[in-house]
Amino acid sequence: MIGFWERNVPVFDIPVRSRALYVLTGLFLLAFGLVTYRELAGLGPVSGMNDAYAWGIWKTFNVMTLTGLGSGGFAVGIAAYLFGRKRLHAVMRTALLTSFLAYISGMTLLGVDVGRPWNMYLVLMPWRWNYHSPLLEVAVCMPLYAMFPLFLENIPPVLEWVHEFRPNFRPLVEKATAVMSKFYPLVVGLAYLLPAMHQSSLGALMLLAGDRVHPLWQTPFLPLLYVWAAAFMGFSCVAGTLLFCAIMWKRPMDLDILQELSRITCYVIVAWLVFRFSDLLVNGKIPLAFQFNQFAVLFWIEMVILVVAAVTLFDSAKLKNARMMFHAHLITAIGGMMYRFDPTTLAFKPKSGAFYFPTAMEILVALGFVSFAVAVFIVAAKKLAIIPAPISYWHDYEREVLANAPEPQLSTSGQALAAAQD
Amino acid sequence: MSKNDVKLPTEKPTIGEHLKRAGYSRRDFMTLCSMLMVTAPVGLALTDNASVSKVASQIAKTKRPSVIWLHFQDCTGCTETLLRTSKPDVADLILNMISLDYHETLMAACGSQAEASLRQAMRENEGKYILVCEGSIPLKDGGQYLKLGGKNGVDLLKEVASKAAAVISMGSCASWGGVPSADPNPTGATGVDQIIKDKAVINLPGCPPNPYNLLGVVLEYATFKKLPALDDQHRPLFAYGRLIHDHCPRRAHFDAGRFVKEFSDDGHRQGWCLYKMGCKGPQTHAACSTNHFNEVPDCWPIGAGTPCVGCTEKAIAFRVPIFQLAEIHGATPPEAFPLVNTKIGSIGTAAAGLAGLVAGAIGGAAWVGAHKLPSTDDKPKSDAASSGGK
Amino acid sequence: MELTRRAALKSLGAGAVGVAATSLVSIQAVAEESSEGKAPKHAVGLLYDTTRCVGCQSCVAACNEVNNLEGDLRADRIHHSAQDLNSFAKNIIKLYRPTDGSGYSFVKQQCMHCVDPACVAGCSFKALTKNPDNGVVGWTSSKCMGCRYCEITCPYHIPKFQWEGLNPKIVKCELCKERLAVGKEPACSTVCPAKAVVYGTREQLLAEAKRRIEANPGKYYENRVFGENDGGGTQALYLSHVPFEKIGLPDLGNESVPEKYLKWQKRLYSYLAVPVVAYATMVAVIRKNWNDHQHHMQEEQERTGLRPQL
Repeated sequence: MIGFWERNVPVFDIPVRSRALYVLTGLFLLAFGLVTYRELAGLGPVSGMNDAYAWGIWKTFNVMTLTGLGSGGFAVGIAAYLFGRKRLHAVMRTALLTSFLAYISGMTLLGVDVGRPWNMYLVLMPWRWNYHSPLLEVAVCMPLYAMFPLFLENIPPVLEWVHEFRPNFRPLVEKATAVMSKFYPLVVGLAYLLPAMHQSSLGALMLLAGDRVHPLWQTPFLPLLYVWAAAFMGFSCVAGTLLFCAIMWKRPMDLDILQELSRITCYVIVAWLVFRFSDLLVNGKIPLAFQFNQFAVLFWIEMVILVVAAVTLFDSAKLKNARMMFHAHLITAIGGMMYRFDPTTLAFKPKSGAFYFPTAMEILVALGFVSFAVAVFIVAAKKLAIIPAPISYWHDYEREVLANAPEPQLSTSGQALAAAQD
Repeated sequence: MSKNDVKLPTEKPTIGEHLKRAGYSRRDFMTLCSMLMVTAPVGLALTDNASVSKVASQIAKTKRPSVIWLHFQDCTGCTETLLRTSKPDVADLILNMISLDYHETLMAACGSQAEASLRQAMRENEGKYILVCEGSIPLKDGGQYLKLGGKNGVDLLKEVASKAAAVISMGSCASWGGVPSADPNPTGATGVDQIIKDKAVINLPGCPPNPYNLLGVVLEYATFKKLPALDDQHRPLFAYGRLIHDHCPRRAHFDAGRFVKEFSDDGHRQGWCLYKMGCKGPQTHAACSTNHFNEVPDCWPIGAGTPCVGCTEKAIAFRVPIFQLAEIHGATPPEAFPLVNTKIGSIGTAAAGLAGLVAGAIGGAAWVGAHKLPSTDDKPKSDAASSGGK
Repeated sequence: MELTRRAALKSLGAGAVGVAATSLVSIQAVAEESSEGKAPKHAVGLLYDTTRCVGCQSCVAACNEVNNLEGDLRADRIHHSAQDLNSFAKNIIKLYRPTDGSGYSFVKQQCMHCVDPACVAGCSFKALTKNPDNGVVGWTSSKCMGCRYCEITCPYHIPKFQWEGLNPKIVKCELCKERLAVGKEPACSTVCPAKAVVYGTREQLLAEAKRRIEANPGKYYENRVFGENDGGGTQALYLSHVPFEKIGLPDLGNESVPEKYLKWQKRLYSYLAVPVVAYATMVAVIRKNWNDHQHHMQEEQERTGLRPQL
């Protein structure tokens, strides 16, 4: 169901078990232990959350911020499927996998963070829902998205693996493929509708906090700004991941695709900045940015980071400079994460005298869950065809095949894989 | 009744000599001085000294002051309170510490002998004696509702006060009218300071007041010829400068919301605050909460489990019903009250360190990683020349 | 036939028009139903007057007793010393003490039982609900998942969470609803010796407050009662002799938090019209792309004989 312009190849020449993987697994197991302690002792002993800052980094960072980063499937997908940027199909699998893992790790941590998780079954009972609540929208939409469209979109590499290495299941796989093919547009449509809804609802969550969010951030367009930020964060996460994989596993990069990604990200950021500033201007909030307090400083840090990001993206795209692109996407990710995180904590002022900083255990748990996502990504990328190879490889291969006899039983990459895994 | 001129002894040695002659032990004397210091820890020059022996030596050098005590519309309770002292006991007090030259209840003389002794005391100590008044003075109808030896009370007061050095109103009645002045005040009962305007009048309200209040004032005057610091109602600050509520042993119960609701209920048995029983402590200036009566600890109204009725206060006693709640204004809120904005949340060192470490590690890794990427790519083909995959 | 950019933009444009049209309909629908600013018919509440409060804290002790709360012993293990509303205290008396020594004031803090509560609007599974009859905002443990969104949304910082233990609850004043059910008054208003906090229907309390203001012009701050319209109106009303902000009552304007901030959310999601139209449009575009691509894939397979990468 993925056409010839998808040319993904597993990282088959590097062993699965590596030092990095051990460190990540260790962090995750540590987090798991701390989570057990949290379940037994309550949230207070483990975290720095208090009645003034009732949401700590588990919600505000791992869910509200990192799922923004994990919007690659949504953002790149829209560019690829709705706006017909065919070249980007090559990176769809990377995007989808990062999204899936970001969501899974975020959702699981959310389950750890809520105080009475045994009542979460209510999410399955629509007659118990409060339809006015933005949090309900998030609580229903995010798991639905992660477990249904996003999950299905991530199945093809697995099916492909089964098809290659478990010949007995080939007919089953082909049948499944045919069925999925028929419904794919509906699934993909959901995969864009649902994130649009819940990424914006994540912004709407802070709407109800009203005046407690500093006016430089509080605006009725907070949901729109959040989902828009998710868009450019998703792009930067995908591009950054690709570049990072290229560094770690010494893979060749496709600079054309990276250039396109960087360019699109730049335009999205610029449009976002224009909208944000216009919103502030129209509502007369610009003077607040010039008051001498920590909020104004924070605001300008955010803005400067994103402007620098946009400029660097533009330049790096023009120059096709990979290192510059990496820096640019990193800065974009930081700027985007800052924007999504600030209204929840740094620009959130419940009352004077209130303060929050996560405890060491809280940080370790958050880190552990992120490590889990990264570790699974590493394993999946090495076992399944996720990371793209350059288009010329495909053309070379095509040429080779056309020159030689038709119908090899295993594809070349499959052969190499089999050889490596024997 | 012929007037016999009776001559009374007129020697005036110092208190110290007198006590020695009377066989008063030094220990007893020191005890008295300690009690004085407890009564008036501040506000009395006499007790402003550091040690008991200093107080003792000062008092010892003083000549016994002459005191004339007049009764008006009284119940004699203020005299009774004076009698409830044991250090000194009354005999020592009236014979050896002060020279109580005229006191209708305590003196042996009566009739014309008593009147003669009054006149003698006035003559011999003219301008030097302290006049202590007990009881209010009726003014209605010319003051005819009290006659002493044929004279109206108000006239007697004016006469005796004219030759006095200082006037002390002992008790609420003398201070502002007391019980006799309760509504409808048929006799026009008034306090002494409404009648005597040309002399210093010190009010010691209370029903009765603590006897050491009187002793402190008298000895202060005798020793230093000075009156203690007074408030705007001429009450010595050392005894009347604070509210019962601010020094009440049951204040903690008030602050914690534990109140007696009914006499003999559980709270009452546990000594809880009597505010809801109408205790006027919050509006009453007096020293009873620390200086108890009859020299028995906890022998005072609240200590005995009954609400303070505000007997020192003109606006309260015998005017505001005993069980009506007191108004609380100007009482100092306790320091431990939670404030409207309380501090919450803090940062742990380990957490800060860890956060820094994580940020640094990620930043460092990104920096190092970025340098592995080619800086510029000026080849038209985007792939072949890059560090190759296998 | 490849999907040209023009064609794609055309379909998206059509979709956008559809979305806009639906939004307008929804806006209309929501505008008509937004007469939610009214208190329930038999709304009850409390009227607290700072000029009468003596800081005796009987109400705190009574509230603890009636609600079986232990009292906050964490400071020194001896004295009940809750410094703020928390999981041990549903009601508290605090002190506003200005540094210049001028007029101090006590303030009683408990749930305001707002007419249009932000906590109820935000609670996903209706654990916090406003009783339609007497307007008391209550909490149900069987529906709460402990997400603490109510703590984020409440403009008065009232709901508190039990941070220790296996079975954490949200703790806040529920106006002694069990006592109300049997015709009694809430514990705090019952024990107050100075009648600083009184209980009654919202109408009665507003009338009483206005009567006091009229009888004592200049005594009460701004000559008004807090909660009549503040934040959309509350059922716990306040008369104060010091500025409201000083005793922790924020300046909220006359709109309730949900009304003010969820306008656009309500419009966009009304009847789920906008999402459905958006979905339909997207699927149409994707399907067109998808079918073209499937077609193309077929062609390639015929040309090269290679299975496309699955």
